[in-house]
Amino acid sequence: MEYKLRKAEPRDVPDILRLVKELAKYEEMEHQVTLTEKELLEDGFGDTPFYHCIITEIQGEKSSEDRKVVGFAMYYFTYDPWVGKQLYLEEFYVMDEYRGLGIGSGILRNLSNLAMKTRCTGMMFVVAENNEPSVQFYKRRGAEDLSQEEGWRLFRFDKDSLVKMAAPSEE
Amino acid sequence: MNFKIRRAAKEDCKDISRMIMDLAIYEKMPDQVKISHEELERDGFCQNPLFECLVAEVPEEHKSNEGNGIGTALLSKVAEIGKKKQCVRLQLSVLNWNTPSRDFYAAKGAQDLTVTEGWHAIRFDGQNLDNLANEAPKD
Repeated sequence: MEYKLRKAEPRDVPDILRLVKELAKYEEMEHQVTLTEKELLEDGFGDTPFYHCIITEIQGEKSSEDRKVVGFAMYYFTYDPWVGKQLYLEEFYVMDEYRGLGIGSGILRNLSNLAMKTRCTGMMFVVAENNEPSVQFYKRRGAEDLSQEEGWRLFRFDKDSLVKMAAPSEE
Repeated sequence: MNFKIRRAAKEDCKDISRMIMDLAIYEKMPDQVKISHEELERDGFCQNPLFECLVAEVPEEHKSNEGNGIGTALLSKVAEIGKKKQCVRLQLSVLNWNTPSRDFYAAKGAQDLTVTEGWHAIRFDGQNLDNLANEAPKD
């Protein structure tokens, strides 16, 4: 099957949100997605992009059919104080019915290439430990599980805690 | 104790680099530190900085080993900046054996997502990243 990997454009925002929700559903956490198309548009295609996105589209069976977006990766650049610039892979998803065709591998290769070109020393992301297919997909390609090997735990402050911490303390 | 929290300046990079190493030693991974103040100066104080940094400074005569609320003040300042920029979350990672830090963050309301949701931090670097990239079809 022919597919094309390209940089996301503003018109792709509805598809990006659709795929974000599909991935969240697969991870059994769809109720946590509160992001809107408007926010995705402002945050990705405004003056200061907070994320970058590549998408995979396939041509419909008939030439008159629209192209369909079937996979995406959302990433941004971050910084590791020990080694410098890193590529952070935030979201990575291929629709169920289009898996097993090399699309996921293609996206990952493209991102790795981009990481090397932009002087990143590593590509980082998180995986849920019960997501066996994904864990195996990454391990086969040489990824290290830092939580297991070095004991790193992911911590999060939600909005309420963030607001409480931001308030000036009583002197 | 008098202390001041402010945005880091390029001149602070030598001190920041020193503290990054101190923290890496505490975390028992000092051999993983590959960059020095030069990279920090280049990457944090260029046209498009790759990171932002806050520093806490005390007057020379006030140095002591006591807990003085500096950690809390730094974290609160980060939270304030996040809030101003309309961030909805603050995420970080902590080593599982680092109980003082885990307790510090938990006391302020942080959740351990590795425990509650099973998230693991994963990385491709070095030869593995190179191998992945070399498989990419040429444009």
